[in-house]
Amino acid sequence: MGPEELLPLAQEEGKVTVYSFTSRIGKVEAAFEETYPDIDLQGFDISSTEQIARLQAEAQAGVTNADVIYISDTPVVLTELLETGIIAPFVPPRVADRVPQEYQSPLLAQRLSTKVLMYNEEANPDGAPVTNLWQLTTGDWRGRVVMVDPLQRGDYLDLMTEIVLRSDAMAAAYEEQFGKAIELGDAANAGEKFIMDLFANDVILVGSTDDVNVAVGAKGQENPPVGFTSYSDRRDNEEEGWALQVANSVEPAPGIIFPAVLALAAEPNNPAAARLVIDFLMGDESETGGAGLAPFYVAGDYVTRTDIPPHPDAVSLSDFTAWRIAPNETAKIRSEIGDLILTLQ
Amino acid sequence: MVDVTMNRQGRRVLFKHGTVLKTVVLALLIALIVLPLLRTVLFTLQPDTVKAWSDVLTGRLSTNLFYKPLGNTLLIGVVVASGCVLLGGFLAWLVVMTNVPFRKTIGVMATLPFMIPSFAAALAWGALFRNDRVGGQVGWLQGMGLDIPDWLAWGITPTLIVLTLHYFSLAFTIIAAALATVNSDLVEAAQIAGAKGGRILMGIILPVTTPALVAAGSLCFAGAVSNFATPALLGLPVRMQTLSTRLFGMIEVGQVGRGYVIGILLVLISGAFLWAGNRIVSGRRSYATITGKGGRAKRFDLRSARWPLCAVAMVILISSTILPVVILSASSLAPSSANLFSNWTLHYWIGPSSQSIAQGIPGIVHNQDIVRALTVTLGLGLAVAFTGMFVGLLASYTTARFRKGWMSAVITQVSFLPLLVPGIAFGAAYIAYLGAPIGPFPALYGTFALLVIAATAYLLPFSVQTGRAVIQQVGGELEESARITGASFARRLSAITVPLAIRGLTAGGILIFVKIIRDLSLVVLLFTPTMPVLSVLAYRYASEGFGQFANAITVVILFISIAATLIANWLQAKSQPWLKN
Repeated sequence: MGPEELLPLAQEEGKVTVYSFTSRIGKVEAAFEETYPDIDLQGFDISSTEQIARLQAEAQAGVTNADVIYISDTPVVLTELLETGIIAPFVPPRVADRVPQEYQSPLLAQRLSTKVLMYNEEANPDGAPVTNLWQLTTGDWRGRVVMVDPLQRGDYLDLMTEIVLRSDAMAAAYEEQFGKAIELGDAANAGEKFIMDLFANDVILVGSTDDVNVAVGAKGQENPPVGFTSYSDRRDNEEEGWALQVANSVEPAPGIIFPAVLALAAEPNNPAAARLVIDFLMGDESETGGAGLAPFYVAGDYVTRTDIPPHPDAVSLSDFTAWRIAPNETAKIRSEIGDLILTLQ
Repeated sequence: MVDVTMNRQGRRVLFKHGTVLKTVVLALLIALIVLPLLRTVLFTLQPDTVKAWSDVLTGRLSTNLFYKPLGNTLLIGVVVASGCVLLGGFLAWLVVMTNVPFRKTIGVMATLPFMIPSFAAALAWGALFRNDRVGGQVGWLQGMGLDIPDWLAWGITPTLIVLTLHYFSLAFTIIAAALATVNSDLVEAAQIAGAKGGRILMGIILPVTTPALVAAGSLCFAGAVSNFATPALLGLPVRMQTLSTRLFGMIEVGQVGRGYVIGILLVLISGAFLWAGNRIVSGRRSYATITGKGGRAKRFDLRSARWPLCAVAMVILISSTILPVVILSASSLAPSSANLFSNWTLHYWIGPSSQSIAQGIPGIVHNQDIVRALTVTLGLGLAVAFTGMFVGLLASYTTARFRKGWMSAVITQVSFLPLLVPGIAFGAAYIAYLGAPIGPFPALYGTFALLVIAATAYLLPFSVQTGRAVIQQVGGELEESARITGASFARRLSAITVPLAIRGLTAGGILIFVKIIRDLSLVVLLFTPTMPVLSVLAYRYASEGFGQFANAITVVILFISIAATLIANWLQAKSQPWLKN
């Protein structure tokens, strides 16, 4: 059913609840209620990790609180939520022919998001102060690398996992940086060695990406830290007074790029309104997708719809050097990496 | 239900020992307290979760998962308990036994810090001392150009200070009550015999008040080791974990088995310390001051130390009551906590959503989430005040009326069990217990009922204690004579006990109300987005860097708590004899 058929049913339902892993749900809520004034969208900003825990608890309790789930952390989502029947896929027929197949199944990806190394471009006008990830383990960057605790946010755990999966590239980058082959010591591979060295170098763990953004991006800092955060948070530079920029040329890669997916609750309380929200979040027929996509049509987010032109201010997807995660591979060793990080804290 | 055809003899036996009432109360307490705890233990013993025990206790993760947090937890417990006994004892001595100026004021102020949520004090600490370690807004002192070192801004030192300033008023209340009962004959006899002040203190007052000191110390210990908000807000940026923050983290990321195991261990630890405290006291039973009631002792004359000691007390009290309130109020108005007292704006209170401030979050008056949370929180406070006092009164009536028998003993023991269970572990237990459907009963996850039931159970030690005090106030003779004239249990309760006890009941209800609306540790795991409570919202805003909103919400909680506490104090004035001249 398209939005026209859904609307009267959704109006009858009158409300819809969305769990969203991004705070941009606030803007979506305002835009949605302006477009569909009769439907009250209740948006909750809940991290992917917490969404998974809550959705599982709710499923166990036989309670459905959320109608729409907007989430990243696909390595866990696919096995723990989709395969267990807690959430269900939905692709709005209106856009089905304009989203590549790989982004429609098993769940609809609305956009690709990132966790990459960012720096302060006001303090570093000549470009990134880091050219190789291994530099972050040296004395120069002691206590000056910021990220969210990977045990609190799944996408950071995915980043750490990817670094381990790319151990060969990490080993090569080590040699490039230090001019000698890597000695693993206690580590099982070059990726683990990097993580251990990074933690030994007093990496600063914070609770949310906004904390990373402020720490790295705030203007007027003499010697700002670098940090792993979302490339797209650059969108707030002007509003928040930040100077965030991506370190795209860092070796072997600045971080990861991963899908942000949309799904329905298995048995939504407001099925029509839920489908209407997903349709809305995929953007309308105007050139850049209109109000529903506006919060996500920003530099650093890569919308999956093929008919929406890439954002002019961002590194194009083909030039972007971040690693693409393969959710199935990540899922295999993810909890192991989580345990490794637990021993380092 | 009693069989109506049962003969008179049988009914008399049944009612003689209050068997029906005792059974009902015991069943209620088991359902509220024992089953959730049992359910948690059983959960960790399932085949696929039992490995959590070895992960936590012996595996390569155990150092970070358990032993390091355990070390921090014990350090916090011991230092905070000692600090509280010293501070609380000092103030209690000043108020009860000396002629220090402003005795009454000191006495009232010393009971307030415990009513201020501990996360309020932690937030206030951040607004003052936060440095640039994690970026974002720095605190006022750093903003003034002082360089605040990490150890003062984050981690164990601020946690110890904040918790001591929070829990000392608990110690004060207990010690002051004990000092007020020290027999003046003993003191006067010593004075006549020429003993100096120091000797009277060491030789008479300290030994007599030992049970109170131990009780105060072990309660402060139990409170401090289970506190969640303060180490979470002040410790995480330097990776300091306690057992309660670990427990929360594990459950939040879905590693429920490990979380429950840590919770169970936390219960055992705080239980062991409370038990040890009791042992120490009960090992020497001769604390009773033998003679009949003596008159009030002559107050110890501080002479020239009067004003200096008053100043010391005031510094402690102001920094634990007035200062946090002022700082939080100011920082809910100041756009930057580095400049606490300039550019004040009411935006965080009444401003509309604006794209340029705090990602468009509107002031708390316009914020749907916060308004809903306020309604839920107040509703929760009222509901728990009623259910808590009801169950508390029922349990204490039962044990007071039918003292004999093993059932009464078990009722007493079980009703105090939640004292041993840290709020966050109790919350975890309730998720395990009522998170899934039990037989025909639906799951209560995410419902108001779950919050009410869990909170009622959690606060039972306090409601039973209050209920007991109330019952003791009402003389047994009245009830006895009503019973002889044939009044039923319900009628006796509604016509005699309740009307006579209404003041005490109301005061007790208010205290329960305050306890639950400022609680974070119990509700932080029971919180769901569709059933929000204020304290958790404040915690979330604080951990996401929106300090002003967190502080504004906290100010709201604070004022409700303090107002309610003062009302309760006024109703209860009789139970604080040390304030009388």
